[in-house]
Amino acid sequence: MKGTVLTAGLVVALLGMCAPGLPQPASARISLEKCTLCHGKQEFRKILVDGKIRELFVTADSLKGSVHEKKTCVDCHFDISEIPHRERPRRVNCTHCHYKGNAEGAPQSDGYLAYFESVHGKAIARGNAKAPLCQDCHGSHFILKVKSDASLVAQGNVAETCGHCHIQIYAQYKTSVHGVAAAKGIKEAPSCTGCHGEHKIYSPKDPKSTVYATHVAEQCSKCHGSVSIMSKFGIETEKVETYRESFHGVASQFGSRTVANCASCHGTHEIRPEADPLSSVNPKNVAKTCGKCHPGANANVAVGKMHVDAKKKEAGIVYYVASFFKYLTIGTMLALIIHILLDMYGRTKRLRGEK
Amino acid sequence: MTPMSAGTPKSVSIVRMSFMFRVQHALLMVTLLVLALTGFALMYHENWLGRNLIRLEGGVLYRGFLHRAAASLLMGQLIFHAFYMLFTRGGKKEFGEFLLVRQDFADFLQAIRYNLGTAAEYPRFGKYGYKEKFQYWGATLGIFLISVTGIILWAETFSMRFLPKVVLDITLIVHGYQGLLAFVILLFWHMYNEHLHPSVFPMNAAWLTGRVDAEWLRQEHPLEYEKMKREGVL
Repeated sequence: MKGTVLTAGLVVALLGMCAPGLPQPASARISLEKCTLCHGKQEFRKILVDGKIRELFVTADSLKGSVHEKKTCVDCHFDISEIPHRERPRRVNCTHCHYKGNAEGAPQSDGYLAYFESVHGKAIARGNAKAPLCQDCHGSHFILKVKSDASLVAQGNVAETCGHCHIQIYAQYKTSVHGVAAAKGIKEAPSCTGCHGEHKIYSPKDPKSTVYATHVAEQCSKCHGSVSIMSKFGIETEKVETYRESFHGVASQFGSRTVANCASCHGTHEIRPEADPLSSVNPKNVAKTCGKCHPGANANVAVGKMHVDAKKKEAGIVYYVASFFKYLTIGTMLALIIHILLDMYGRTKRLRGEK
Repeated sequence: MTPMSAGTPKSVSIVRMSFMFRVQHALLMVTLLVLALTGFALMYHENWLGRNLIRLEGGVLYRGFLHRAAASLLMGQLIFHAFYMLFTRGGKKEFGEFLLVRQDFADFLQAIRYNLGTAAEYPRFGKYGYKEKFQYWGATLGIFLISVTGIILWAETFSMRFLPKVVLDITLIVHGYQGLLAFVILLFWHMYNEHLHPSVFPMNAAWLTGRVDAEWLRQEHPLEYEKMKREGVL
Protein backbone atom coordinates (compact mmCIF):
# COMPACT_ATOMS: atom_id res chain seq x y z
CA MET A 1 0.00 0.00 0.00
CA LYS A 2 2.74 2.33 1.04
CA GLY A 3 4.62 1.36 -2.10
CA THR A 4 1.74 2.27 -4.37
CA VAL A 5 1.41 5.70 -2.81
CA LEU A 6 5.10 6.27 -3.18
CA THR A 7 5.06 5.20 -6.82
CA ALA A 8 2.08 7.43 -7.57
CA GLY A 9 3.86 10.33 -5.90
CA LEU A 10 6.95 9.66 -7.92
CA VAL A 11 4.99 9.55 -11.16
CA VAL A 12 3.35 12.91 -10.38
CA ALA A 13 6.69 14.44 -9.51
CA LEU A 14 8.24 13.13 -12.71
CA LEU A 15 5.33 14.40 -14.77
CA GLY A 16 5.83 17.83 -13.23
CA MET A 17 9.48 17.80 -14.12
CA CYS A 18 8.76 16.70 -17.65
CA ALA A 19 5.88 19.09 -18.13
CA PRO A 20 7.76 21.54 -20.39
CA GLY A 21 8.65 18.61 -22.57
CA LEU A 22 5.13 17.42 -23.12
CA PRO A 23 3.17 18.61 -26.13
CA GLN A 24 1.28 21.67 -25.03
CA PRO A 25 -2.11 22.88 -26.17
CA ALA A 26 -1.94 24.93 -29.38
CA SER A 27 -2.83 28.17 -27.65
CA ALA A 28 0.18 27.97 -25.39
CA ARG A 29 2.58 27.24 -28.22
CA ILE A 30 4.94 29.61 -29.84
CA SER A 31 3.59 30.17 -33.31
CA LEU A 32 5.52 29.51 -36.50
CA GLU A 33 5.53 33.19 -37.36
CA LYS A 34 7.49 34.03 -34.25
CA CYS A 35 10.25 31.59 -35.15
CA THR A 36 10.53 32.79 -38.70
CA LEU A 37 11.04 36.33 -37.45
CA CYS A 38 14.65 35.36 -37.12
CA HIS A 39 14.94 31.98 -38.86
CA GLY A 40 13.09 33.19 -41.93
CA LYS A 41 15.97 35.46 -42.88
CA GLN A 42 18.09 33.86 -45.56
CA GLU A 43 21.37 35.07 -44.10
CA PHE A 44 20.53 33.77 -40.62
CA ARG A 45 23.50 31.59 -39.79
CA LYS A 46 26.05 31.01 -37.13
CA ILE A 47 29.79 30.76 -37.51
CA LEU A 48 31.03 28.03 -35.23
CA VAL A 49 34.28 27.98 -33.29
CA ASP A 50 35.90 25.70 -35.85
CA GLY A 51 35.00 28.06 -38.68
CA LYS A 52 32.14 25.96 -39.99
CA ILE A 53 28.94 27.72 -40.84
CA ARG A 54 25.66 26.45 -39.46
CA GLU A 55 22.77 27.53 -41.66
CA LEU A 56 19.81 28.45 -39.51
CA PHE A 57 17.48 29.52 -42.30
CA VAL A 58 14.10 27.83 -41.87
CA THR A 59 10.80 28.97 -43.34
CA ALA A 60 7.22 27.86 -43.23
CA ASP A 61 7.93 25.92 -46.41
CA SER A 62 10.65 23.85 -44.83
CA LEU A 63 8.25 21.13 -43.71
CA LYS A 64 6.01 21.37 -46.75
CA GLY A 65 5.68 18.06 -48.54
CA SER A 66 7.41 16.19 -45.73
CA VAL A 67 5.76 13.66 -43.47
CA HIS A 68 5.72 16.31 -40.75
CA GLU A 69 3.89 18.87 -42.89
CA LYS A 70 1.32 19.56 -40.22
CA LYS A 71 3.76 19.98 -37.37
CA THR A 72 5.13 23.26 -36.12
CA CYS A 73 8.62 24.05 -34.86
CA VAL A 74 7.97 23.42 -31.18
CA ASP A 75 6.34 20.05 -31.79
CA CYS A 76 9.86 18.77 -32.14
CA HIS A 77 11.90 21.60 -30.61
CA PHE A 78 9.77 21.43 -27.51
CA ASP A 79 12.54 22.65 -25.25
CA ILE A 80 12.06 26.18 -26.66
CA SER A 81 9.80 28.03 -24.28
CA GLU A 82 10.83 31.64 -24.85
CA ILE A 83 11.79 33.70 -27.84
CA PRO A 84 14.51 34.50 -28.57
CA HIS A 85 15.88 31.35 -27.01
CA ARG A 86 19.16 31.89 -25.22
CA GLU A 87 20.43 28.37 -25.37
CA ARG A 88 21.03 26.28 -28.41
CA PRO A 89 18.01 23.94 -28.59
CA ARG A 90 18.75 20.35 -27.72
CA ARG A 91 18.94 17.77 -30.49
CA VAL A 92 15.48 16.65 -31.42
CA ASN A 93 14.38 13.43 -29.79
CA CYS A 94 12.20 11.53 -32.27
CA THR A 95 11.09 8.93 -29.75
CA HIS A 96 9.12 11.71 -28.12
CA CYS A 97 6.36 10.82 -30.61
CA HIS A 98 7.63 7.71 -32.31
CA TYR A 99 7.07 5.06 -29.67
CA LYS A 100 4.73 2.11 -29.81
CA GLY A 101 1.16 3.06 -28.97
CA ASN A 102 1.72 6.80 -29.18
CA ALA A 103 -1.37 9.02 -29.18
CA GLU A 104 -0.18 11.08 -32.16
CA GLY A 105 -0.51 8.11 -34.48
CA ALA A 106 3.13 8.53 -35.50
CA PRO A 107 4.27 5.44 -37.42
CA GLN A 108 6.39 3.18 -35.32
CA SER A 109 8.35 0.02 -35.84
CA ASP A 110 10.88 -1.66 -33.58
CA GLY A 111 13.54 0.10 -35.58
CA TYR A 112 14.44 2.53 -32.85
CA LEU A 113 14.86 -0.22 -30.27
CA ALA A 114 17.31 -1.96 -32.60
CA TYR A 115 19.04 1.38 -33.09
CA PHE A 116 19.88 1.68 -29.39
CA GLU A 117 21.67 -1.67 -29.59
CA SER A 118 23.51 -0.73 -32.77
CA VAL A 119 27.02 0.64 -33.08
CA HIS A 120 25.53 4.13 -33.61
CA GLY A 121 23.13 3.94 -30.68
CA LYS A 122 25.88 2.71 -28.39
CA ALA A 123 28.21 5.49 -29.52
CA ILE A 124 25.52 8.02 -28.64
CA ALA A 125 25.05 6.35 -25.27
CA ARG A 126 28.79 6.65 -24.65
CA GLY A 127 28.48 10.37 -25.27
CA ASN A 128 29.90 10.59 -28.78
CA ALA A 129 28.26 13.77 -30.06
CA LYS A 130 29.19 12.93 -33.65
CA ALA A 131 27.32 9.63 -33.71
CA PRO A 132 24.12 9.77 -35.73
CA LEU A 133 20.65 10.10 -34.31
CA CYS A 134 17.50 9.43 -36.32
CA GLN A 135 17.59 12.83 -38.00
CA ASP A 136 21.17 12.42 -39.19
CA CYS A 137 20.07 9.70 -41.59
CA HIS A 138 16.38 10.38 -42.10
CA GLY A 139 16.81 14.13 -42.46
CA SER A 140 15.67 16.89 -40.17
CA HIS A 141 13.08 19.15 -41.68
CA PHE A 142 12.40 17.50 -44.99
CA ILE A 143 11.72 13.93 -43.93
CA LEU A 144 10.05 11.72 -46.52
CA LYS A 145 8.64 8.25 -46.27
CA VAL A 146 11.36 5.62 -46.57
CA LYS A 147 9.61 4.19 -49.61
CA SER A 148 9.79 7.50 -51.43
CA ASP A 149 12.66 7.61 -53.93
CA ALA A 150 13.64 11.09 -52.76
CA SER A 151 14.04 10.01 -49.14
CA LEU A 152 17.55 10.34 -47.75
CA VAL A 153 17.43 6.70 -46.77
CA ALA A 154 15.95 5.48 -50.06
CA GLN A 155 17.98 2.83 -51.87
CA GLY A 156 19.44 5.36 -54.29
CA ASN A 157 20.37 7.93 -51.64
CA VAL A 158 21.39 6.06 -48.55
CA ALA A 159 25.01 5.62 -49.60
CA GLU A 160 25.43 9.37 -49.90
CA THR A 161 23.67 9.82 -46.56
CA CYS A 162 26.04 7.40 -44.82
CA GLY A 163 28.85 9.03 -46.75
CA HIS A 164 28.33 12.28 -44.86
CA CYS A 165 30.28 10.71 -42.06
CA HIS A 166 31.89 7.69 -43.76
CA ILE A 167 33.52 9.72 -46.50
CA GLN A 168 36.38 7.41 -47.46
CA ILE A 169 34.18 4.35 -47.58
CA TYR A 170 31.66 6.22 -49.66
CA ALA A 171 34.36 7.14 -52.18
CA GLN A 172 35.42 3.47 -52.42
CA TYR A 173 31.85 2.29 -52.75
CA LYS A 174 31.02 4.87 -55.42
CA THR A 175 33.51 3.35 -57.86
CA SER A 176 32.83 -0.26 -56.89
CA VAL A 177 30.72 -2.60 -58.98
CA HIS A 178 27.85 -2.18 -56.55
CA GLY A 179 28.14 1.60 -56.37
CA VAL A 180 28.29 1.98 -60.12
CA ALA A 181 25.27 -0.28 -60.57
CA ALA A 182 23.31 1.54 -57.88
CA ALA A 183 24.12 4.88 -59.55
CA LYS A 184 22.67 3.49 -62.77
CA GLY A 185 19.42 3.01 -60.87
CA ILE A 186 19.65 -0.76 -60.61
CA LYS A 187 17.43 -1.55 -57.63
CA GLU A 188 19.06 -4.89 -56.86
CA ALA A 189 22.51 -3.37 -56.35
CA PRO A 190 23.25 -3.15 -52.64
CA SER A 191 23.95 0.16 -50.99
CA CYS A 192 25.30 0.36 -47.43
CA THR A 193 22.12 -0.94 -45.82
CA GLY A 194 21.93 -3.87 -48.23
CA CYS A 195 24.85 -5.52 -46.44
CA HIS A 196 25.04 -3.77 -43.08
CA GLY A 197 21.35 -3.62 -42.29
CA GLU A 198 19.40 -0.52 -41.39
CA HIS A 199 18.88 0.14 -37.71
CA LYS A 200 20.70 -2.97 -36.57
CA ILE A 201 24.12 -1.90 -37.77
CA TYR A 202 26.93 -3.40 -35.72
CA SER A 203 30.67 -3.16 -35.94
CA PRO A 204 32.06 -5.84 -38.31
CA LYS A 205 33.97 -7.18 -35.28
CA ASP A 206 30.71 -7.77 -33.41
CA PRO A 207 29.44 -11.36 -33.83
CA LYS A 208 25.93 -9.92 -34.18
CA SER A 209 26.94 -8.05 -37.32
CA THR A 210 25.68 -9.22 -40.70
CA VAL A 211 29.20 -8.63 -41.99
CA TYR A 212 31.02 -10.43 -39.15
CA ALA A 213 33.66 -12.77 -40.63
CA THR A 214 31.55 -15.91 -40.33
CA HIS A 215 28.42 -14.18 -41.64
CA VAL A 216 29.89 -12.57 -44.75
CA ALA A 217 29.34 -15.54 -47.07
CA GLU A 218 25.76 -15.86 -45.95
CA GLN A 219 25.14 -12.15 -46.41
CA CYS A 220 26.64 -12.05 -49.92
CA SER A 221 24.78 -15.20 -50.91
CA LYS A 222 21.45 -13.57 -50.14
CA CYS A 223 21.80 -11.99 -53.58
CA HIS A 224 24.64 -13.93 -55.17
CA GLY A 225 23.01 -17.26 -54.37
CA SER A 226 19.67 -16.21 -55.84
CA VAL A 227 19.18 -17.27 -59.45
CA SER A 228 16.28 -14.86 -59.93
CA ILE A 229 18.47 -11.87 -59.05
CA MET A 230 21.76 -12.95 -60.59
CA SER A 231 20.32 -14.13 -63.90
CA LYS A 232 19.34 -10.51 -64.65
CA PHE A 233 23.00 -9.55 -64.68
CA GLY A 234 24.53 -12.71 -66.12
CA ILE A 235 26.33 -13.56 -62.88
CA GLU A 236 26.78 -17.22 -61.90
CA THR A 237 25.19 -18.27 -58.61
CA GLU A 238 27.40 -21.32 -58.28
CA LYS A 239 30.22 -19.20 -56.88
CA VAL A 240 28.40 -19.45 -53.57
CA GLU A 241 28.28 -23.24 -53.78
CA THR A 242 31.90 -23.62 -54.86
CA TYR A 243 33.03 -21.40 -52.01
CA ARG A 244 30.98 -23.42 -49.54
CA GLU A 245 32.63 -26.62 -50.80
CA SER A 246 36.15 -25.21 -50.66
CA PHE A 247 38.56 -25.45 -47.75
CA HIS A 248 37.83 -21.82 -46.94
CA GLY A 249 34.09 -22.30 -47.07
CA VAL A 250 34.04 -25.40 -44.91
CA ALA A 251 36.27 -23.81 -42.28
CA SER A 252 34.07 -20.71 -42.27
CA GLN A 253 30.89 -22.74 -41.89
CA PHE A 254 32.38 -24.48 -38.88
CA GLY A 255 33.25 -21.22 -37.18
CA SER A 256 36.78 -20.28 -38.24
CA ARG A 257 37.14 -16.50 -38.11
CA THR A 258 40.55 -16.33 -39.71
CA VAL A 259 39.77 -18.22 -42.90
CA ALA A 260 39.01 -16.31 -46.10
CA ASN A 261 35.41 -15.30 -46.74
CA CYS A 262 34.08 -13.54 -49.85
CA ALA A 263 35.30 -10.16 -48.68
CA SER A 264 38.83 -11.35 -47.91
CA CYS A 265 39.53 -11.80 -51.60
CA HIS A 266 36.95 -9.61 -53.34
CA GLY A 267 37.19 -6.69 -50.96
CA THR A 268 34.41 -5.01 -49.07
CA HIS A 269 33.45 -1.55 -50.23
CA GLU A 270 35.82 -1.56 -53.19
CA ILE A 271 34.56 -4.74 -54.89
CA ARG A 272 35.20 -4.59 -58.62
CA PRO A 273 34.58 -7.03 -61.46
CA GLU A 274 37.37 -9.52 -62.15
CA ALA A 275 38.19 -7.93 -65.50
CA ASP A 276 38.88 -4.55 -63.86
CA PRO A 277 42.65 -4.08 -63.47
CA LEU A 278 42.00 -2.49 -60.06
CA SER A 279 40.08 -5.52 -58.85
CA SER A 280 41.71 -7.55 -56.08
CA VAL A 281 40.71 -10.71 -57.97
CA ASN A 282 42.07 -9.59 -61.32
CA PRO A 283 44.55 -12.27 -62.44
CA LYS A 284 47.34 -9.69 -62.14
CA ASN A 285 46.47 -8.95 -58.53
CA VAL A 286 45.55 -12.35 -57.10
CA ALA A 287 49.11 -13.12 -56.04
CA LYS A 288 49.00 -10.07 -53.77
CA THR A 289 45.48 -10.86 -52.59
CA CYS A 290 46.28 -14.48 -51.71
CA GLY A 291 49.54 -13.26 -50.21
CA LYS A 292 47.64 -11.47 -47.46
CA CYS A 293 47.17 -14.85 -45.79
CA HIS A 294 49.57 -17.12 -47.68
CA PRO A 295 52.97 -15.43 -47.61
CA GLY A 296 55.00 -16.13 -50.70
CA ALA A 297 52.00 -16.61 -52.98
CA ASN A 298 53.08 -15.80 -56.51
CA ALA A 299 51.74 -15.87 -60.05
CA ASN A 300 51.10 -19.62 -59.65
CA VAL A 301 47.84 -18.91 -57.83
CA ALA A 302 46.45 -17.36 -61.00
CA VAL A 303 47.04 -20.58 -62.95
CA GLY A 304 43.72 -22.40 -62.80
CA LYS A 305 40.18 -21.50 -61.90
CA MET A 306 39.41 -19.96 -58.54
CA HIS A 307 35.91 -21.22 -57.83
CA VAL A 308 36.32 -24.81 -59.00
CA ASP A 309 33.54 -27.35 -58.99
CA ALA A 310 35.13 -30.72 -59.69
CA LYS A 311 31.70 -32.08 -60.58
CA LYS A 312 31.36 -29.75 -63.57
CA LYS A 313 33.05 -30.04 -66.95
CA GLU A 314 34.03 -26.35 -66.82
CA ALA A 315 36.60 -27.29 -64.17
CA GLY A 316 38.69 -28.85 -66.98
CA ILE A 317 41.42 -31.20 -65.88
CA VAL A 318 40.21 -31.15 -62.27
CA TYR A 319 36.89 -32.55 -63.48
CA TYR A 320 38.55 -35.29 -65.51
CA VAL A 321 40.84 -36.33 -62.65
CA ALA A 322 37.88 -36.42 -60.26
CA SER A 323 35.82 -38.44 -62.74
CA PHE A 324 38.69 -40.86 -63.29
CA PHE A 325 38.99 -41.48 -59.57
CA LYS A 326 35.27 -41.77 -59.17
CA TYR A 327 35.04 -44.57 -61.71
CA LEU A 328 38.26 -46.12 -60.42
CA THR A 329 36.74 -46.31 -56.94
CA ILE A 330 33.46 -47.73 -58.18
CA GLY A 331 35.34 -50.18 -60.42
CA THR A 332 37.61 -51.29 -57.57
CA MET A 333 34.63 -51.81 -55.33
CA LEU A 334 32.85 -53.93 -57.94
CA ALA A 335 35.97 -55.93 -58.69
CA LEU A 336 36.49 -56.65 -55.00
CA ILE A 337 32.90 -57.72 -54.50
CA ILE A 338 33.08 -60.01 -57.51
CA HIS A 339 36.34 -61.41 -56.14
CA ILE A 340 34.69 -62.14 -52.78
CA LEU A 341 31.75 -63.93 -54.37
CA LEU A 342 33.96 -65.94 -56.71
CA ASP A 343 36.34 -66.86 -53.92
CA MET A 344 33.53 -68.07 -51.68
CA TYR A 345 32.05 -70.10 -54.51
CA GLY A 346 35.41 -71.64 -55.35
CA ARG A 347 36.16 -72.43 -51.72
CA THR A 348 32.89 -74.27 -51.24
CA LYS A 349 33.71 -76.31 -54.32
CA ARG A 350 37.20 -77.02 -53.03
CA LEU A 351 36.01 -78.18 -49.61
CA ARG A 352 33.42 -80.45 -51.21
CA GLY A 353 36.16 -82.01 -53.32
CA GLU A 354 38.39 -82.58 -50.27
CA LYS A 355 35.75 -84.53 -48.36
CA MET B 1 37.42 -75.95 -38.83
CA THR B 2 36.84 -79.46 -37.68
CA PRO B 3 39.90 -81.71 -37.76
CA MET B 4 39.97 -83.85 -40.83
CA SER B 5 41.00 -87.14 -39.31
CA ALA B 6 39.97 -88.52 -35.97
CA GLY B 7 43.55 -89.43 -35.15
CA THR B 8 44.77 -85.82 -35.00
CA PRO B 9 45.74 -84.82 -31.47
CA LYS B 10 44.46 -81.55 -30.00
CA SER B 11 45.13 -78.60 -32.26
CA VAL B 12 48.64 -77.27 -32.50
CA SER B 13 49.18 -73.53 -32.88
CA ILE B 14 52.14 -71.87 -34.48
CA VAL B 15 53.47 -68.30 -34.54
CA ARG B 16 52.43 -66.28 -37.60
CA MET B 17 52.84 -62.67 -36.41
CA SER B 18 55.78 -61.75 -34.22
CA PHE B 19 55.40 -59.21 -31.42
CA MET B 20 56.98 -56.43 -33.50
CA PHE B 21 54.51 -57.04 -36.31
CA ARG B 22 51.58 -57.05 -33.94
CA VAL B 23 52.67 -53.70 -32.48
CA GLN B 24 53.05 -52.20 -35.95
CA HIS B 25 49.71 -53.62 -37.03
CA ALA B 26 47.93 -52.17 -33.98
CA LEU B 27 49.52 -48.77 -34.51
CA LEU B 28 48.56 -48.86 -38.19
CA MET B 29 45.00 -49.70 -37.26
CA VAL B 30 44.71 -46.80 -34.83
CA THR B 31 46.29 -44.21 -37.13
CA LEU B 32 44.24 -45.31 -40.15
CA LEU B 33 41.04 -45.16 -38.10
CA VAL B 34 41.80 -41.64 -36.86
CA LEU B 35 42.78 -40.54 -40.36
CA ALA B 36 39.60 -41.97 -41.85
CA LEU B 37 37.36 -40.42 -39.20
CA THR B 38 38.97 -36.99 -39.47
CA GLY B 39 39.43 -37.13 -43.24
CA PHE B 40 35.97 -38.30 -44.22
CA ALA B 41 34.46 -35.83 -41.76
CA LEU B 42 35.90 -33.07 -43.94
CA MET B 43 35.22 -34.80 -47.25
CA TYR B 44 31.58 -35.38 -46.33
CA HIS B 45 31.07 -32.27 -44.21
CA GLU B 46 27.75 -31.54 -45.89
CA ASN B 47 25.90 -34.51 -44.41
CA TRP B 48 24.93 -34.91 -40.77
CA LEU B 49 27.48 -37.63 -40.07
CA GLY B 50 30.33 -35.47 -41.33
CA ARG B 51 29.02 -32.43 -39.48
CA ASN B 52 28.72 -34.32 -36.21
CA LEU B 53 32.13 -35.88 -36.65
CA ILE B 54 33.69 -32.46 -37.08
CA ARG B 55 31.88 -31.26 -33.94
CA LEU B 56 33.09 -34.37 -32.11
CA GLU B 57 36.63 -33.70 -33.23
CA GLY B 58 36.48 -30.20 -31.78
CA GLY B 59 35.74 -28.19 -34.91
CA VAL B 60 37.67 -27.77 -38.14
CA LEU B 61 40.79 -26.54 -36.40
CA TYR B 62 41.22 -29.53 -34.07
CA ARG B 63 40.03 -31.94 -36.76
CA GLY B 64 43.01 -30.71 -38.77
CA PHE B 65 45.41 -31.08 -35.84
CA LEU B 66 44.19 -34.62 -35.21
CA HIS B 67 44.44 -35.56 -38.88
CA ARG B 68 47.97 -34.23 -39.18
CA ALA B 69 49.09 -35.76 -35.88
CA ALA B 70 47.84 -39.19 -36.99
CA ALA B 71 49.41 -38.65 -40.41
CA SER B 72 52.76 -37.81 -38.82
CA LEU B 73 52.57 -40.98 -36.78
CA LEU B 74 51.69 -43.00 -39.87
CA MET B 75 54.51 -41.54 -41.94
CA GLY B 76 56.92 -42.12 -39.07
CA GLN B 77 55.73 -45.67 -38.94
CA LEU B 78 56.23 -46.12 -42.68
CA ILE B 79 59.84 -45.02 -42.35
CA PHE B 80 60.38 -47.21 -39.29
CA HIS B 81 58.80 -50.14 -41.09
CA ALA B 82 61.07 -49.71 -44.10
CA PHE B 83 64.13 -49.78 -41.82
CA TYR B 84 62.74 -52.69 -39.84
CA MET B 85 62.09 -54.76 -42.96
CA LEU B 86 65.43 -54.02 -44.55
CA PHE B 87 67.84 -54.05 -41.63
CA THR B 88 66.62 -56.31 -38.83
CA ARG B 89 66.80 -60.07 -38.61
CA GLY B 90 63.08 -60.52 -38.00
CA GLY B 91 62.20 -57.98 -40.65
CA LYS B 92 64.49 -59.30 -43.35
CA LYS B 93 63.01 -62.79 -42.99
CA GLU B 94 59.48 -61.50 -43.45
CA PHE B 95 60.50 -59.18 -46.26
CA GLY B 96 61.71 -62.19 -48.23
CA GLU B 97 58.32 -63.83 -47.74
CA PHE B 98 56.54 -60.68 -48.89
CA LEU B 99 58.51 -60.11 -52.10
CA LEU B 100 56.24 -60.20 -55.12
CA VAL B 101 57.26 -62.88 -57.60
CA ARG B 102 55.82 -63.93 -60.94
CA GLN B 103 54.25 -66.93 -59.23
CA ASP B 104 51.92 -64.63 -57.28
CA PHE B 105 50.32 -63.27 -60.43
CA ALA B 106 50.11 -66.78 -61.84
CA ASP B 107 48.46 -67.88 -58.57
CA PHE B 108 46.02 -65.03 -58.78
CA LEU B 109 44.98 -65.96 -62.31
CA GLN B 110 44.86 -69.63 -61.46
CA ALA B 111 42.65 -68.90 -58.44
CA ILE B 112 40.25 -67.01 -60.67
CA ARG B 113 40.29 -69.75 -63.26
CA TYR B 114 39.68 -72.35 -60.57
CA ASN B 115 36.81 -70.33 -59.14
CA LEU B 116 35.32 -70.00 -62.60
CA GLY B 117 35.72 -73.73 -63.13
CA THR B 118 38.37 -73.68 -65.87
CA ALA B 119 41.30 -74.86 -63.74
CA ALA B 120 41.43 -78.16 -61.92
CA GLU B 121 43.63 -77.12 -59.00
CA TYR B 122 43.42 -74.23 -56.55
CA PRO B 123 46.87 -72.60 -56.16
CA ARG B 124 48.90 -73.68 -53.16
CA PHE B 125 50.26 -70.72 -51.18
CA GLY B 126 53.35 -70.23 -49.09
CA LYS B 127 53.35 -68.17 -45.91
CA TYR B 128 51.77 -65.31 -47.82
CA GLY B 129 49.53 -65.88 -50.82
CA TYR B 130 48.57 -63.32 -53.42
CA LYS B 131 45.82 -62.00 -51.13
CA GLU B 132 48.27 -61.05 -48.39
CA LYS B 133 50.96 -59.78 -50.74
CA PHE B 134 48.64 -57.57 -52.77
CA GLN B 135 47.24 -56.17 -49.54
CA TYR B 136 50.69 -55.50 -48.13
CA TRP B 137 52.14 -53.82 -51.20
CA GLY B 138 48.92 -51.97 -51.95
CA ALA B 139 48.85 -50.55 -48.44
CA THR B 140 52.55 -49.61 -48.47
CA LEU B 141 52.37 -47.92 -51.86
CA GLY B 142 49.04 -46.30 -50.97
CA ILE B 143 50.36 -44.88 -47.70
CA PHE B 144 53.39 -43.53 -49.50
CA LEU B 145 51.32 -41.87 -52.25
CA ILE B 146 48.70 -40.42 -49.92
CA SER B 147 51.54 -39.04 -47.80
CA VAL B 148 52.91 -37.20 -50.82
CA THR B 149 49.62 -35.46 -51.60
CA GLY B 150 49.02 -34.93 -47.89
CA ILE B 151 52.33 -33.17 -47.40
CA ILE B 152 51.67 -30.94 -50.42
CA LEU B 153 48.38 -29.88 -48.89
CA TRP B 154 49.76 -29.55 -45.39
CA ALA B 155 52.55 -27.23 -46.52
CA GLU B 156 50.12 -25.21 -48.61
CA THR B 157 51.96 -21.92 -48.22
CA PHE B 158 55.15 -23.60 -49.41
CA SER B 159 53.44 -25.59 -52.19
CA MET B 160 51.74 -22.47 -53.53
CA ARG B 161 55.10 -21.06 -54.54
CA PHE B 162 55.98 -24.00 -56.76
CA LEU B 163 52.69 -25.45 -57.88
CA PRO B 164 49.98 -23.76 -59.90
CA LYS B 165 46.55 -23.55 -58.28
CA VAL B 166 45.13 -26.14 -60.66
CA VAL B 167 47.69 -28.70 -59.45
CA LEU B 168 46.75 -28.01 -55.83
CA ASP B 169 43.07 -28.46 -56.72
CA ILE B 170 43.91 -31.82 -58.29
CA THR B 171 46.04 -32.76 -55.29
CA LEU B 172 43.10 -32.16 -52.99
CA ILE B 173 40.81 -34.28 -55.14
CA VAL B 174 43.38 -37.06 -55.45
CA HIS B 175 44.11 -37.06 -51.71
CA GLY B 176 40.43 -37.50 -50.92
CA TYR B 177 39.97 -40.29 -53.43
CA GLN B 178 43.15 -42.04 -52.30
CA GLY B 179 41.64 -42.15 -48.84
CA LEU B 180 38.35 -43.43 -50.18
CA LEU B 181 40.09 -46.09 -52.26
CA ALA B 182 42.11 -47.24 -49.25
CA PHE B 183 38.92 -47.44 -47.25
CA VAL B 184 37.12 -49.42 -49.95
CA ILE B 185 40.01 -51.86 -50.25
CA LEU B 186 40.22 -52.33 -46.49
CA LEU B 187 36.50 -52.92 -46.38
CA PHE B 188 36.24 -55.40 -49.24
CA TRP B 189 39.63 -57.07 -49.19
CA HIS B 190 41.01 -57.05 -45.68
CA MET B 191 37.57 -57.40 -44.06
CA TYR B 192 36.82 -60.39 -46.24
CA ASN B 193 40.16 -62.11 -45.90
CA GLU B 194 40.57 -61.63 -42.17
CA HIS B 195 36.99 -61.52 -40.90
CA LEU B 196 34.37 -62.85 -43.27
CA HIS B 197 36.33 -65.65 -44.87
CA PRO B 198 34.76 -68.88 -43.52
CA SER B 199 38.10 -70.23 -42.40
CA VAL B 200 38.69 -67.33 -40.00
CA PHE B 201 35.15 -66.06 -39.28
CA PRO B 202 34.53 -63.99 -37.22
CA MET B 203 38.18 -62.93 -37.02
CA ASN B 204 41.67 -64.19 -37.55
CA ALA B 205 43.03 -63.64 -34.05
CA ALA B 206 46.67 -63.69 -35.12
CA TRP B 207 46.86 -59.88 -34.85
CA LEU B 208 46.28 -60.26 -31.09
CA THR B 209 47.72 -63.66 -30.17
CA GLY B 210 50.23 -63.89 -32.98
CA ARG B 211 49.31 -67.54 -33.43
CA VAL B 212 47.27 -69.57 -35.89
CA ASP B 213 46.06 -73.12 -35.89
CA ALA B 214 48.32 -75.59 -37.71
CA GLU B 215 45.31 -77.15 -39.37
CA TRP B 216 44.28 -73.74 -40.72
CA LEU B 217 47.77 -73.30 -42.10
CA ARG B 218 47.63 -76.70 -43.80
CA GLN B 219 44.44 -75.74 -45.59
CA GLU B 220 45.11 -72.13 -46.49
CA HIS B 221 48.92 -72.03 -46.80
CA PRO B 222 49.91 -75.63 -47.61
CA LEU B 223 53.41 -74.80 -48.87
CA GLU B 224 54.27 -73.07 -45.60
CA TYR B 225 52.80 -75.99 -43.67
CA GLU B 226 54.89 -78.49 -45.59
CA LYS B 227 58.00 -76.35 -45.19
CA MET B 228 57.46 -76.27 -41.42
CA LYS B 229 56.96 -80.01 -41.37
CA ARG B 230 60.24 -80.48 -43.30
CA GLU B 231 62.08 -78.14 -40.97
CA GLY B 232 60.66 -80.02 -38.00
CA VAL B 233 58.95 -76.98 -36.50
CA LEU B 234 55.73 -78.91 -36.40
